[in-house]
Amino acid sequence: MSLCLRPKYLRPNLIGSLFRYSTATTEIAETNDHVLIDDSDAAQAKEAEIERKRNISRLAPSHQNLISGRRPYEEAKSITHLTVKYNRKMYGKYGSASGVNPILCFPTRKDISERLEYEAVAYPYSIKQMMDQAAQKRREEELKIEQRDREVATKHAKLETWKKELNDKIAKKLSEANAAKEKKERLVDEVRRHFGFKLDPRDERFQEMLAKREKEQKKLEKMARKEAREKQMIAKLQQKNVGIGDK
Amino acid sequence: MGSRQIVEKSLSMLRSLPRISLANIRDNPNCKKKSKRGRAQHGGDKHGAGNKGSGQRQNFMRLGYETGNNPFYLRVPQEHYYRGHHLKREYPPFTLLQLQTIIDKDWVDISKPIDIASIIKSGIYTFYPDQKQFGIHLTDEGLDNFSAKINIEVQWASEQVIAAIERNGGVITTAYYDPHSLFLLKNPKKFFESGQAIPRRMIPPPDAIEYYTSAKTRGYLADPEEISKERLKLAQKYGYDLPNIENDPNYNMLCERKDPRQIFYGLQPGWVVNLKDNCILKPKDQDLLQFFNS
Repeated sequence: MSLCLRPKYLRPNLIGSLFRYSTATTEIAETNDHVLIDDSDAAQAKEAEIERKRNISRLAPSHQNLISGRRPYEEAKSITHLTVKYNRKMYGKYGSASGVNPILCFPTRKDISERLEYEAVAYPYSIKQMMDQAAQKRREEELKIEQRDREVATKHAKLETWKKELNDKIAKKLSEANAAKEKKERLVDEVRRHFGFKLDPRDERFQEMLAKREKEQKKLEKMARKEAREKQMIAKLQQKNVGIGDK
Repeated sequence: MGSRQIVEKSLSMLRSLPRISLANIRDNPNCKKKSKRGRAQHGGDKHGAGNKGSGQRQNFMRLGYETGNNPFYLRVPQEHYYRGHHLKREYPPFTLLQLQTIIDKDWVDISKPIDIASIIKSGIYTFYPDQKQFGIHLTDEGLDNFSAKINIEVQWASEQVIAAIERNGGVITTAYYDPHSLFLLKNPKKFFESGQAIPRRMIPPPDAIEYYTSAKTRGYLADPEEISKERLKLAQKYGYDLPNIENDPNYNMLCERKDPRQIFYGLQPGWVVNLKDNCILKPKDQDLLQFFNS
């Protein structure tokens, strides 16, 4: 198996491992047992150059930071990056590596006073007060229901008498109406008999006769009433007389 | 034969005729004819759609709209059952069957107290605090098959559900969370990543105070002694022997309850949780402590 690698990937510490995984027989003895890390400025610059050249993603630095788990911007790029909210977010997401002082995460005295002011308006009553109010409301509701029940019960007790009264009233009205009707019919009959032939009740003569009959009837009734009264009077007087006589 | 000739002739005719297609087929007898959209003098102009306005443009008005008149459907506003619906709290249901299912599937750890955060973490339940949804209503579906001993905290539960949980030696609490706390419980990670201190849980509104302070509904603001009495009463009402939780090996777990101001189990208000550094920052300032403990 032939390994075709570009020179920039052939770094000393890789060669050994690559050969280890190759199936071909390796004749090269592992000579690099102790790797000397060269950390001079020149070497570091070289490493950086290599890294720069390796990076072919063409991502913006902020995006590169994001995908490698660092905060996107070290210095503020807009006004929002100066806000407390943004800095809190940076701390929450990237931890102490974000360089944000975690004291920012806690509310300030002003925040606390504002919050307390808000709560005083939004939650004006304590739990105890609300419980008392609820209990009071419940009691009032129950009282209302109880009162209504009592009212209905008293009315229900009277219901039978009211029903009887109403029925009596209706029956009385009906009997009166029937009596009046009968009377009228009788009158009309009498008038008819007087004429001796069938006459239209709307006829003038008929009406005249009817009025006359009615008048007579009324007179009779009046007389009857008068007589009855006289009779009553006489009876009273007689009773009085009897009383006097007894004495 | 004559008939044979006719057959031959018709067959030859058929051979010479074009194939049957939609172009040369005749309509069924008495079928309905579609009227064609005429052009120009054959009924062109407005095509019967009228002159000007919505009619001609055929942009039909929304249902019930009467071009500026007070619409009929609003003229008599008398749906009283909708009165104040925009202020009513909603508790999306979660059944005992679903609860048993997630317990059986080990989607929720019953060796710890269960609250809305752990039920949401199981992935079976979701809700939207911004739509006036105030958490779990544990319903009685699957009540007969429920057989887990748990310490659960929900936002609403009926008497039967309470009985079903307590019959198995469990503990149930109904607790109120304000919408902001519910956002935190729904997605704790999002909140912790915002780098804020955990706020306090707010007190319930006046119309819910009766429920959350009542021992009958196992409210989180109720007197614990009253609750133990009510537990016994409920056991007698439904006719089961109340298991003694004092002798239970998980007594400490079953007795664990949140503080009325606490949102997450094990986390106090005022703490800052950092998931990246895996650490908790606790305030030491007296003002902060006083505020968060009030």
